[in-house]
Formats: sequence, structure tokens, C-alpha cells
Amino acid sequence: MSAIQKTSSGVPLTGRRAGRTAAAPRRPMPARTRAGVIALNTLLAVMGVFTVFPFVWMVFSAFKSNAEIASLDQTFFPRDWTMANFESIQTKLDFCRLFANSVFLSVSITVLAVYTSLLGGFVFAKYRFRGRGFFFGVILSTMMVTWAVVIIPRYTMFRNAGLVDNYASLIVPAAISAFGIFMMRQSMDAIPDEVLEAARIDGASEIFIFHRIVAPMSINAISALAIFQFLWVWEDYLWPYLMISTQSKQVLAVGLTTFNGQYSTDYGGLFAATTISILPVLVVYLVFQRRFIAGAASAAVKG
Amino acid sequence: MVVVTVGVIMAFIVVLLIVPILIALRGSFHQWNPLNGTFTWVGLDNYAELFADPQFARASLNTAVFGVAAIAGRVVIGLAIAYALFSRLTRWKGFFRTVFYMPTITPLVAVAYVWKLMYNPQFGAINSIFGLDVNWLFDSRFSLLAIILMTIWKDFGYAVILLLAGLYSIPEDSLEAASVDGANSWQRFWRVILPLLRPMLFFVVITSLIAYLQAFVQVLVLTGGGPGTSTQIISYMIYEQAFVKYNFGYASAIAFVLLLVTAALTAASWRFNSSGGADRPGRAARRRAARRAAAATTEGSAR
Repeated sequence: MSAIQKTSSGVPLTGRRAGRTAAAPRRPMPARTRAGVIALNTLLAVMGVFTVFPFVWMVFSAFKSNAEIASLDQTFFPRDWTMANFESIQTKLDFCRLFANSVFLSVSITVLAVYTSLLGGFVFAKYRFRGRGFFFGVILSTMMVTWAVVIIPRYTMFRNAGLVDNYASLIVPAAISAFGIFMMRQSMDAIPDEVLEAARIDGASEIFIFHRIVAPMSINAISALAIFQFLWVWEDYLWPYLMISTQSKQVLAVGLTTFNGQYSTDYGGLFAATTISILPVLVVYLVFQRRFIAGAASAAVKG
Repeated sequence: MVVVTVGVIMAFIVVLLIVPILIALRGSFHQWNPLNGTFTWVGLDNYAELFADPQFARASLNTAVFGVAAIAGRVVIGLAIAYALFSRLTRWKGFFRTVFYMPTITPLVAVAYVWKLMYNPQFGAINSIFGLDVNWLFDSRFSLLAIILMTIWKDFGYAVILLLAGLYSIPEDSLEAASVDGANSWQRFWRVILPLLRPMLFFVVITSLIAYLQAFVQVLVLTGGGPGTSTQIISYMIYEQAFVKYNFGYASAIAFVLLLVTAALTAASWRFNSSGGADRPGRAARRRAARRAAAATTEGSAR
């Protein structure tokens, strides 16, 4: 996949195909083809509705009262719009606080992990040193290790170190990402060494080259990794559940299960709480989706 | 710069991965309960107990059913939609791609709660839309199916994006040659496109395999392993043994079995893929695929 370029629709294409698609002449369609168009688009539309429906249903239900949710006569839109569910989850579990905690953790871990991934990717892509292949192999092989094997020892280690209820216990294990290093190295392999050489001849320091030349050239990979990393922190449940014991320091994902455990029949509240956990991530995705999808797919294609 | 970066990364891996793995391995030979401070050598007893445990047998069966069904659903639906989006007859490709990828980037815990509400027999959307009267989560005939359906909905978009990227990287000549030889569209799909798509299909299957062997949040939220043991899967059993019952030694033993099974299945499907007859990939392709397989673990290790 050399010469990846994006069409207006954002799919990474090879140059040849992109040219052909753009130049395809519009001929009148035969009847059989028109039937095919209708069939295909119907299939996609049905699947699209199936995909979007749970989100839409969740949002509308969050504005229904509990009585209306449980009533036998179900309607899609709320008959009486109410903010009561949002007010009630705020008074019951302080969801604003949990939301702020999740935002703080997700943003700081994402920034940290993306930076260390860039640095690791840069070193492994652009420097020759003894043991490079070995060390990179070690990094890759760590991706095979399942959470189930390491979580018990980590739990005891962090407890013994007195890091319970301390955000360091959530930030430190996520600070370096093997996947991130791998992804950045893949992306930086495509940057020609001549660019770096030219900068060195001009007297640029390695630090300068990294920050001002290599990092800005990796922007697609950075955005894809950033969104993935943000989501992984945002949805991480078990580790914060084990490490954080004070309710006001807890994250959203754990807050949801706490809420469901304590108020298992407050369905309206649960709708409101899931809406708060899902909608912001969805909005971020919809804003950046074009660059993100290109980056996510190319990570596998270029491999 | 090289020494510091590689040094920090390696120190991180040793402290947070290699040491924990060794502690877990040692722990799996002990009766280990952190609450009352037990840490007694029991040799292979944990492993012997495991293979005699009917719950583990049931969990293994459920994990296999869940894994096979979820992977099949994800790949078949993903391929159908990717191929529909690839077709020249389809409109609004960018829009549909964005829609299908939406569930993939939403937090799993919150999404699982939305589905728990969708499955609610009293007011859930699924029963009211399809006019069913099924108690999805509390009827042992349907509970595992409910978890599988939710998982497929959440994950098929990932297969769509990757398979679409795979379809776009198929050389134009192969498709043209097929038409010139008089292949109809059915033959073109099965004889030309599918074999060429094999590396990407393999990537999706391996990624899914590793991710689904570790999946447990959907079970935690939707059913808690029940009713009875109808949705008990291995990773959920590890969670329960470790952090509900605090049998750290037993949980570590299960975790090591899971790790070995994951590695064995990955190696086996790897072998199956590379013994593929005429389209056997060259050395470079195989090395690329090896790197992909390593990257494939990302999804799993991230959860």
C-alpha cells in the first residue's frame, strides 16, 4: 500500500483506483442494475437502522419518566419530556463528578501514552542500534499477554505499594502502550530518512527533529491512536474498580455498575447514566471520524 | 535518547508484565487468599481441581460456543456489508461506514447496560418491536444467545472497516481478468475476491479470537454468568474466583490455562492459514502477516 491517498469519502485508496473512480463516466443504468441498487441500498439502510437504533432509543428513553418507561403502552418518543432522570442520578451518585474524573483520566493517559508511543516508535523506526530487533520483539510479544494473568499480581503489587485510591495506580500501568509503539513505528517507517538527514545537516538537534518534524508528520496515526486510547481508558472497568475505593474518585464505567447495583429498578436513571457515558465519546468520534477511520484501517493494511 | 527510551520501556515491561507473570505462575501452585493471608504450596492441586471442576467444563463449552458464534457473526455480517459498500452501485458510502463503525468506538460497559434494558421483558425494545415474549437474560435457553447478539452488534463494524480496506487493496487487474474470462459476479466473488481477501479475513479472525477469549464485561453486566451456569465463560470465571471469592491461586491457574489455549489457538489458525495451497503467501507476505498477528492482540490486551 504505497501512495495511500484519501478520496472525498475518506477511504484509503491506491492512486490508480482513486483516479479511475473519479473519472468513471455516468451511463444510464439498465433495469437490472437499478434493481441491484435498490436491493443493496435497502440492505445497508436496514442494517444502518439496526446499528443506530439502540443509541436513539437510549437517548429518548432517558427523557421519559420511570412510570412511562414501565407502562404497557410503549411509545418511541417521550410523551412528557423530563429532565428528572438526570437530576436524580446527579443527586444519587454525583455523576458530574464521575464524568469529570473520567475526562481527566482519559485525557491525561491519552496524552501521556501517545507521547511515549511517538517516542518509542521514533526510536525503533529511525535509529539503528544493537538489539533493536530483540527489544522490538519483546514489546510486540507483550501484546499477547491477557489481562487475566497479570491483574492479580498487579493488584497485590499496587496494594503493597500503598497506591490504592491513588490515580497513579491507574495512570502508571497505562503510560506505555505496546500497541501504540507498534502503530507509530509502522507510520514512521514511511517517513524518508533523507528528511531527517537534511534537518541534521541544517544543525537541528534530535529533540527538535522528533518534535517539529517527525511528530507532525504522523498526525493521522496520532489521531487514530488517541481516539482508541481515550476509549480504552473511558471504558476500562475492572482496574479502576479494584484500585479506587472512594466513591467521589471513581470513574464513570464503575459508577454505572454501582448505580445499577444500588438502584436496580431506576431504569430511567440507568438510561440517563448510559447516555452520559456514551454520547460524549460518540460526538468526538463523529467529529473526527474521517481521519480516524483512515488511520485505523491503514494500521492493519500497511502492516 | 535511544538508551533512555528503550531502557524505560524495558523497565516498564519487566516491572509491570514479566514480574507479574512470574508471580502469577508461582501463585498458581499455591493456595492463595489475600484476605486471610494464606499462601501455602499445593503443587499441581489447583490444576487438578480445575480439570475436575464441572463449572470449568461448562465455562469452556460456553466460551467455545460464544467465540465461534460471535466470530462467525462478526465476519459474515462484516463481509456482507463491506462487499455491499465496495459495490459501485452503493450510495452514501462514507455515511454508512461512519454509521456501522459507531458501536465499535462506544464504551462497552455502558453499551452492555443499554442492551440489558433492550432485553428487558417488560419494556425492552426487542420484545416490543418483534412482538416476542422472551425473557432473554433469565431464560437459560436464550441467555447466551443474548450475549452473542449484543457482542456481534458491538463489533461487526470493525470487520467492515478492515475488510473494506482489504477489498480496496485488491489489484484492479485481478478483477478485470475475471470479467474478461467470463466469470459471473458469483464466481468473481468466490473464486477471485475471497481468496485475495484471505490475509485480511485471517487478521480479523485472529483479532476476534484473542479478544473474545478475554471478554467478560458483557457477562458481568448482562447475566453475571447465570441463570445457573448458562452464560459462565472462562474469563468471567477468573474474575469471579479472583475478585469475588478471592481464590487467587485457583484464578491464576485458570488464567494460565486460558493463556496457553489462546497461544495454541493462535498458532494453530496461523498454521492453517499458511498451509493454503496455490495462493500460499511468499516470505515477505508471511513476515508481514506475522506482524499483523502480533498487532491483532491489541484489541484483546486493551480490554
